[in-house]
Amino acid sequence: MSFGHIEKIGRRVIVLGGGNTAMDCCRTSRRLGGEDVKVIVRSGFDEMKASPWEKEDAIHEDIPILNFLVPKEFTHKDGKLTGVLFEEVAATFDEKGRRKLLPTGAPDQHYECDDVLVAVGQENAFPWIERDLGLEFDEWGMPKVDPVTFQSTRPGVFFGGDAAFGPKNIIWAVAQGHEAAVSIDRFCQGGDLTDRPPPMTNLVSQKMGIHEWSYDNDISNDQRFRVPLREKVEALKDVKIEVELGFDLKQGLAEAQRCLNCDVQTVFAEPLCIECDACVDICPVDCITFTDNGEEEDLRGRLKAPALNLDQALMVSAELKTGRVMVKDEDVCLHCGLCAERCPTGAWDMQRFTLEMSHASDVGGGACQAR
Amino acid sequence: MTYLAKPRLHHPSLVPNELGFTRRDYEGSVSTLCAGCGHDSISAAIIQACYELDLPPHRVAKLSGIGCSSKTPDYFLGASHGFNTVHGRMPSVLTGANLANRELIYLGVSGDGDSASIGFGQFAHAVRRGVNMTYIVENNGVYGLTKGQFSATSDKGSKSKKGVVNHDSAIDLVSVALQLGATFVARSFSGDKAQLVPLIKAALSHKGAAFIDTVSPCVQFNNHSGSTKSYDYVREHNESVNRLDVVSPRDPIHVDYAPGTTVQVTQHDGSVLSLHKLSAHYDPTDRIAAMSYLAQRQAAGEIVTGLLYVDPEANDLHEALETVDTPLNQLADQALIPGSGVLAKLNATLR
Amino acid sequence: MSGPLTLTNDFVVKFANVNGSGSASANAMFAKSVLRMGVPVAARNIFPSNIQGLPTWYEVRVTGAGHLGRRGGVDMMVAMNPQTWDKDLAEIEPGGYLFYDSTKPLPASKFRPDITVVGVPLTAMCNTRYSVPRERQLFKNTIYVGALAALLGIEIAVIEQLLAEQFAGKDRLIKANVEALHMGRDYVLENHGPLGLQVRRADGVGDRIYVEGNMAAGLGAVYGGATVCAWYPITPSTSLAEAFTEFCQEYRTDPETGKARYAIVQAEDEIASIGMVVGAGWNGARAFTATSGPGVSLMTEFIGLSYFAEIPAVIFDVQRGGPSTGMPTRTQQADLLGAAYASHGDTKHPMLLPQDPGECFEFGALAFDLADRLQTTIFVMLDLDIGMNEWLTEPFKWDDSRKLDRGKVMTHDELEAGREFGRYLEVDGDGIPYRTYPGVHPNKGAYFTRGTSRNPYARYSEEGSVYVDNVQRLLRKFDTAAQIVPGPVRRDAKKATRTGVIYFGSTTPAMHEALELLEAQGQHVDAMRVRAFPFSAEVYDFIAAHDRVFVVEQNRDAQLRTLIVNEGDVDPAKLIPVLHYDGTPITARFIVKEMAGLLGGAAPSPARKTVPEAAE
Repeated sequence: MSFGHIEKIGRRVIVLGGGNTAMDCCRTSRRLGGEDVKVIVRSGFDEMKASPWEKEDAIHEDIPILNFLVPKEFTHKDGKLTGVLFEEVAATFDEKGRRKLLPTGAPDQHYECDDVLVAVGQENAFPWIERDLGLEFDEWGMPKVDPVTFQSTRPGVFFGGDAAFGPKNIIWAVAQGHEAAVSIDRFCQGGDLTDRPPPMTNLVSQKMGIHEWSYDNDISNDQRFRVPLREKVEALKDVKIEVELGFDLKQGLAEAQRCLNCDVQTVFAEPLCIECDACVDICPVDCITFTDNGEEEDLRGRLKAPALNLDQALMVSAELKTGRVMVKDEDVCLHCGLCAERCPTGAWDMQRFTLEMSHASDVGGGACQAR
Repeated sequence: MTYLAKPRLHHPSLVPNELGFTRRDYEGSVSTLCAGCGHDSISAAIIQACYELDLPPHRVAKLSGIGCSSKTPDYFLGASHGFNTVHGRMPSVLTGANLANRELIYLGVSGDGDSASIGFGQFAHAVRRGVNMTYIVENNGVYGLTKGQFSATSDKGSKSKKGVVNHDSAIDLVSVALQLGATFVARSFSGDKAQLVPLIKAALSHKGAAFIDTVSPCVQFNNHSGSTKSYDYVREHNESVNRLDVVSPRDPIHVDYAPGTTVQVTQHDGSVLSLHKLSAHYDPTDRIAAMSYLAQRQAAGEIVTGLLYVDPEANDLHEALETVDTPLNQLADQALIPGSGVLAKLNATLR
Repeated sequence: MSGPLTLTNDFVVKFANVNGSGSASANAMFAKSVLRMGVPVAARNIFPSNIQGLPTWYEVRVTGAGHLGRRGGVDMMVAMNPQTWDKDLAEIEPGGYLFYDSTKPLPASKFRPDITVVGVPLTAMCNTRYSVPRERQLFKNTIYVGALAALLGIEIAVIEQLLAEQFAGKDRLIKANVEALHMGRDYVLENHGPLGLQVRRADGVGDRIYVEGNMAAGLGAVYGGATVCAWYPITPSTSLAEAFTEFCQEYRTDPETGKARYAIVQAEDEIASIGMVVGAGWNGARAFTATSGPGVSLMTEFIGLSYFAEIPAVIFDVQRGGPSTGMPTRTQQADLLGAAYASHGDTKHPMLLPQDPGECFEFGALAFDLADRLQTTIFVMLDLDIGMNEWLTEPFKWDDSRKLDRGKVMTHDELEAGREFGRYLEVDGDGIPYRTYPGVHPNKGAYFTRGTSRNPYARYSEEGSVYVDNVQRLLRKFDTAAQIVPGPVRRDAKKATRTGVIYFGSTTPAMHEALELLEAQGQHVDAMRVRAFPFSAEVYDFIAAHDRVFVVEQNRDAQLRTLIVNEGDVDPAKLIPVLHYDGTPITARFIVKEMAGLLGGAAPSPARKTVPEAAE
């Protein structure tokens, strides 16, 4: 469609699939002449892979999403597609918590249509790579790739993006491209591919004054604002028209200021701490605790608010003057900096973390280096 | 201080109390005190105590005098009526407010200048009258708002930040309160919430004059070496006589201390004070012994903390005055005005 | 030299006693016996700051014409105190009478030739009849009352009735006192004839009652719905709080539970007293304190808080002689300025100025409505003369349909209904904001009260414009006060005149008598009694309508005049001060003398006049 191979579609369209591609397909169909466009999905609405806002936008464009319907059969008459027959299912869970979609026994449902778009995802396949090249494949036919160097089992051949570890998004692909580039550079220089230059990291204090920071630390209690949309009638006229109008300058700036500041870190300096509790008292989300040290599991339960996200490591200080430690649960930290504002001794500081990934050298054939 | 409002966002696991309030609902405005001020910790302890006691915030009246400590009622219980009165006179205003409506919970917050100097008299008299209140002195031994003069609770021989040595004897408010007949006397430390929060809860549940002297370091002017009210000094010299658990009347009593080391005291409202003894022979229901123990440990340079004295059978001023159960501010006209008939009779006796 | 005075129902008897000798009740009984014969009396205690041993006087003006001010001069001295003998003797009018205990012989030089001397051997009679020293002392007083009754024509049955009432249920005491009464009477009947001063039964009292202002004010506080009283003992206000206590015990005890519908605390000082009052007022109870000048001085910081934070409070200031400890047992009207502008910064406070115990009751009750309505401190300015002396006054009245006016209090239901609440928000244009009682609503209507500047929603602000708006609103509120406090009372002269006089409080009876005397001399003066501060427009209109206006008051610095000049921007030259401040109550004779001199003169004197030493 994008390349102009397809310019129109039937009046009645069924899109099969529940991911963002399906959302893309159905909304594009509306713009190519589809009037009665439906998305029909095997799973439930909440389990659909599509992002919530994509689903919202599809519904906004009068596209119903029908769930728990498994396609059984394309129906046709006189060599022409007439519709799709679906079996109604319901989600059940076995003792291990795995979901299974089982037929409900209700009569099959038939939806008429002129076109069906199958948007159920893609798999990698490398039938065109000769298997005797010295490149090893795994049981699913995927090349064996080193997760650090992105080199295949055949030196000098590198994989990245969907080709390396299956479909992910473009951000991953770019990152892997960077890493592969470092490897290729090392390879060309005859160096050890695993001897990789470290990325450049840096922490810089953001403190400007008693209560001033060089980042926007105020926390907004507002919910996410809706992006203004173009009138539906207009938006459906042309597939190339932007639907989201975007924020105006003022709103845009305000939205940018409520950045979560993930890069601004709370940094704790044990020797300066006098254990006055000021940070504990001011923290809006109870993520700081001064307590006796202990095993992680025990410690997680003894915090001011329990640290339940096991994927998030606890920040535990060295032993303080009273023999206790400071424990911070980063999971809920708002990066508001109030702990550092209330800290009388500067034991807490808000420092911006910068990470510059390693780059393959592009000058003079030298070794890869941190810029 | 900070000028940003504390974000209303809170931890998702914050548990509401019986009234459906989280601890955050007991907060007030953002403090304007210096960063690290012990007073802010005491405010946090008050918030925690009120939350744990399931107190409806609007049924608490918070009063204070003038000074750093007296600013703090603005920083907790934002849904309560508050009164920042005049210097050293909070006790009388609290007494009057209490007389007007015996049903509210009265929390007086004061400082060492406010209570031990200009308001020493009012402190003494409110205590000896047995006004039903929780009276917290945030004791930093220094005049903070006027930048670091000694207060009357500064220990003799302690040094100011400028190096001046205090040559006056200190007033020990805890000893004074004991002598004046306070029926609940405690001392704690702003840097020890584990001790302070239960003490505040117990005091709020106490019917009578409950006094808590809370050593609260002034980070700006009294947290240097040579100070006896610094974080370091207090931690080094703190001698805690007991650890307290307050069990509300509806909760089952659960004690996890070894038998024989715990004393239980039931207060008027049914709350049980479960005291874990840290000092073997300390009996918190013996006023005379408490006074003598305090004097001994003080002479040894120690700061005795914990629940020092409680009289579970205490009475308050309303009982002494035998006032009606209905708050005086809610009595209807007919309960107050004797009427014209009474005047006619009275006139007849005046001729 | 004329002969002995011959006066009926119009004379002054003064008793000179030693403090602590038990004379007070006998003297009061003497005064009341005259009243019971239908003849008005004005009696005044002149007493020292002392419990026992110092001189004390009791002055009874028998006044058929009903002049209740102090007259000045003494027609008969009952000289029972050797310490003040010479001075007491000198005070007797020519032709007057001296009554004394003749037990001890005195040389002729101790007497005056121009007076009639009546000696009764009181001590000798007592010593013969009684053996217990205390009885000898107490019955001596009753004996002289009996003797005086016989001398002055007071019906003995009236006094017997008074004794029966005083000692009701104690027959032995009644009998003993009646016996003593007759001992005195019999002695006089045998040894002396009736004097030229005579009490004759009349009908001049009507249904009026005889009562102290402090008692009346205490009763007023009961009727005004006061539930909290915090006070510190200070002469001459102590009996006000004590009266309130007694009335409460009688009228405010819950009949079912026996519990008190009031709380009275004797505080540790005046600062604590007013602090408790402010605390109670903040919390929605009607509260007051009773004090005198030194107490007001101590209270000023809280009075400023009450003004600025807008908290109702009532202060009864029973004025005495100042400054400093001054003359604690003497009377003055010298706290006007101190009360009106009490506290630092720009402050002013409404004052009610009762003229007698009747108004002490009325204003005593009204003050609480005004305090709630205006959310500020209301002063009720008594003085020792009204407060501690029994005055003949109109009987107490109460309209049973009257409701206590609690002022602008926003209720739970109004808050719940979403009514906007700003503690210092101007809503009705009268400068009076709404308040809430603590604890009224779970999440609406709470505010933080403070003495620092704040915005209409009670949030701290030192913004200049916010401050100015707020204190301007307080001025509007003060204008509202001028409209709702009791207005002045006019008493026009019989003939049109360009001269006026303004006065207030306990000066009133002496002033009225003086106006009559001036009128008899052909001097016509329009009079206006102010009853409250701030002054209503009528006061300034009255001044504008006259060429010169005397301002009669009992202090050195012409404080009422200062207030009028200051608040009304009145030309000071128009206001001529007449000032009496020796600690005794002002007299008609003094006023007449001062005013007559000035009325004779041509131009009004703008300068403050030097006042002659004490009234007679």
